[in-house]
Amino acid sequence: MTAETRKRSRPGLWVGLFFASAGVIIALRLSGAIEEPVGFILLALSMGLMIPFNKAMKNSTCTYSEAMDVYNRRMMLCGIGYVLGLGIAIVLWRNYELADWTVFALTLLPILPTLGMIWAMARYLGEESDEYLRYKSMMASLAALAFVLALGIFWGFLEMFELVPHIWAWWVLPAWAIGLAGAQLWQKVRGA
Amino acid sequence: MKNRLKVLRAERNWSQQDLADRLEVSRQSVNAIETGRYDPSLPLAFRIADVFGTQIEDIFLRE
Repeated sequence: MTAETRKRSRPGLWVGLFFASAGVIIALRLSGAIEEPVGFILLALSMGLMIPFNKAMKNSTCTYSEAMDVYNRRMMLCGIGYVLGLGIAIVLWRNYELADWTVFALTLLPILPTLGMIWAMARYLGEESDEYLRYKSMMASLAALAFVLALGIFWGFLEMFELVPHIWAWWVLPAWAIGLAGAQLWQKVRGA
Repeated sequence: MKNRLKVLRAERNWSQQDLADRLEVSRQSVNAIETGRYDPSLPLAFRIADVFGTQIEDIFLRE
């Protein structure tokens, strides 16, 4: 790979495009310009932008191990499965009278890909052969866990005393992901 | 923990990437070890010693 190729690859561009497209889709959905199923399908399609992102990361000068590549591909597949699963579950649940066992099966559609994401994170820690990168990921994961615990305790007590509205427990995963991103950003700022 | 990685590299005219390739780790790892931000595991320390053809105690020093 030439230095020119490395210079040209811009992983940030694809991440930016992904967030921009997700933002546009959410805005279209909130404004009522598109129907709910269309929104979920478009969101799943926008996750395909992670494919050129992965390629750009491999071609960039950033540290990008084989395990990171596999991890990102697994997360992308789980992400697509999650959006499609959630979309199917919501649309069917809202539009049909379903038996409890069917609703339970439907809830598994978004749950299973989410469990897949957790599995992918665990596999990454197991498969990363570079001990420093593994150490950094573990430290970021612990920081994210601390963030979730602190947020959960804080919000939980505020909720108990009826100061804030109730939030669903599945928010732990997005909150954990936000904590992870924050910790990784902090590591980058500190030059770790 | 202090270390002599930078000196040993300079003696051989190796870049951080050259050393990283020899150790089969990322350049980021070499940089973190060299600047003292990360202390390597014992197996990696032995690999570093092997790459430089010396003993661990000749590379890593007590503070």
